[in-house]
Amino acid sequence: METTKPLNKYVELNMGPQHPSTHGVLRLRLLLDGETVKKVEPVIGYLHRNAEKICELDYYCDSLLYFDRMDYVNSLSMEAGYLEAAEKLLGIEPPERAKWIRTIMAELSRIASHLVWAGAYGLDLGMLTPFFYVFDLREQLLNIFTEASGSRLLTNYMSIGGVYQDFNDKIVYMIKDFIKTFPKKLEEVFNLFVKNDIFISRTKGIGVLEKDIAISYGVTGPMLRGSGVEYDVRKAEPYLMYDKVNFDIPVSYTKDCLGRFLVRYEEMRQSIKIVKQALDKIPDGPYFNPKAKKSLMIRLRGEGEAYGRTESSKGEFGVYIVGDGTVKPYRVRVRSPTFKNLSVLRELGKDVMIADLVAISGSIDLVFGEVDR
Amino acid sequence: MNILNRIQGILSPLGHDISFAGAYLIETIIALVFAVTVVAGMVYFFRKYMARVQNRIGPNRVGKFGVLQVMADGLKLMQKESIFPDGRDDLPYKIAPIIVFLGLILAFIIVPYSNLYWFGSLTVTHSNVGIILIFAILAIMPIGEIFAGISSNNKYAMLGALRAVAKDISFEVPMMLSILAIIMIASMNTSQPLNLQNIVSVQNIPFGILEPIGLFIFFISMIARASYSPFDMGESDSELVTGDTTEYGGLRFGLFYMGLFGTIFLGSMLVSVLYLGGGSGPYESSLGFIWFLIKTIVLVVISLTVWLSMPRVRIDKFVNFGWKILLPLSFINLIITGIIVLGGIA
Repeated sequence: METTKPLNKYVELNMGPQHPSTHGVLRLRLLLDGETVKKVEPVIGYLHRNAEKICELDYYCDSLLYFDRMDYVNSLSMEAGYLEAAEKLLGIEPPERAKWIRTIMAELSRIASHLVWAGAYGLDLGMLTPFFYVFDLREQLLNIFTEASGSRLLTNYMSIGGVYQDFNDKIVYMIKDFIKTFPKKLEEVFNLFVKNDIFISRTKGIGVLEKDIAISYGVTGPMLRGSGVEYDVRKAEPYLMYDKVNFDIPVSYTKDCLGRFLVRYEEMRQSIKIVKQALDKIPDGPYFNPKAKKSLMIRLRGEGEAYGRTESSKGEFGVYIVGDGTVKPYRVRVRSPTFKNLSVLRELGKDVMIADLVAISGSIDLVFGEVDR
Repeated sequence: MNILNRIQGILSPLGHDISFAGAYLIETIIALVFAVTVVAGMVYFFRKYMARVQNRIGPNRVGKFGVLQVMADGLKLMQKESIFPDGRDDLPYKIAPIIVFLGLILAFIIVPYSNLYWFGSLTVTHSNVGIILIFAILAIMPIGEIFAGISSNNKYAMLGALRAVAKDISFEVPMMLSILAIIMIASMNTSQPLNLQNIVSVQNIPFGILEPIGLFIFFISMIARASYSPFDMGESDSELVTGDTTEYGGLRFGLFYMGLFGTIFLGSMLVSVLYLGGGSGPYESSLGFIWFLIKTIVLVVISLTVWLSMPRVRIDKFVNFGWKILLPLSFINLIITGIIVLGGIA
């Protein structure tokens, strides 16, 4: 930190963990020179729940619960991420229909996550109204999740070897209905943002994240794509059925908050495209691998190690599992995308105004269940 | 015949002086009751309107359509424990909400309310310098904000107060210049252009049509005065928790809250008085007050719509906007007005 004044001339401000725009329990220690932030230091750990350690004490099938609770606005992607690794370790291949169902649900979950983010971002910038519009849109998705799994938020829908229950006609109808009406409504809501000059002036050129800094910090997801790097695990190393559907990776070269905003907006539209194709291509057949049926599930033994990586709505979500041949994993470790993305806030938060710091930390899309685990 | 004379007539057995004093007192109390009612009504209306905009229902449990919700909330705020921050500057901390609220409701006494049927003129104060008086009173409110921010020994509150001051000085100069233009144009037809009643009565053509730039500047200034989105830098609720009111709770917070909504209504009243002809309209002598209210409520709805659909402007951008755009615009407005006035005299 370059200082022209001695340190005691700055005001030290503690922002959070109880603060309206720290998205849960982020704590920021700021050093202020008037309104300008000279130094920002994120302090995390207020939502640490030992999820990885608890996974070691549980059967492979039970650990899924704790992944639901990591990124709780995007729980289906978290489940897909865990199963990617766990199924590799246990040697259980889910049937094709189950994979398609997982693809659809993970994409719908991504949309739900981005919607919540957009609403919260509006609140960060002082916009009250879009928050309610996006939650209205998300409600349709939650109804789909409820119909599929019986639960709104922490779905626990996928399980080792497949999914909890097959898509019935009603779910398919609900999803079709959703993808038919969603793009138009989404455009209406997003016009509230992007056609507003004040919103543009608050985000354009704010929080510029250079490509090499982003890569050196391990930033992934919309943050990285907002900095002009075309990297998406769904394309780079396709999992589930992403190699069988046709979609684009949106990239923004402006590197600022507005770029990240627009990347997420376009990602939602691409997700709709994926879901549409998946619904056409989904085959009939079993939705569950009988090797992992309920009565056998807790007797599954894994040996060796496996790493599964998926693209959650926040970035690259990696799960590393080591099995020692017993029914419980020896070690579970999560590569959390938001944790890496948050660490870059130190770079972005230098010499900006407080208002911009809020805009920048909002654009990271923080969910603390996942940062602290 | 105005309401003052009618009350004085009722009180006339008490003697001339006492009856006049009593009449003034009663009328002031009526105006203050009107102010408080309006503020409560504004809170209810805001919540219902916000719910409508945001696809929600809004308050609907307490009383029919939730009309008693405001009273329930007020009672709740009164019952709450007053929590005082440590290391506060006690006196300014305690009087700050009172200053804000008093400054607000005092301004309600000076507004020209125009006429209503049997009651005649409802205006309380017939001052010849009403326009100066009302802006002098409005200048009291920022003092409350600054007291609140500085005395509560909280960095968020301090930053909020600093922002509020920066905001205030950047819009008040253009605002006063646009009012100067009003006075200039009113002086064409009246010898007492500082009298608010005269300003209303000379608006055969509303001044908003003659001075659209002035209307624009004044409306923006009133948004900034009331401090709501997009110019709510004093509060900045996503950055500075709630800015200068961070350390307040209970009834003291309630006073700030009422101050906010009261200022929205007051600002709308001032815009309608100065630029839209106040109570002038068809059947002015009996329905003036109704016209005045209609104009004000339309402006309130516009203000709330702006509030609900705009993000917050960054403070440095607002200061730039104030000094680099609003101030030159207000000078241009002044020059145009001067040309109109000179042309009128010639």
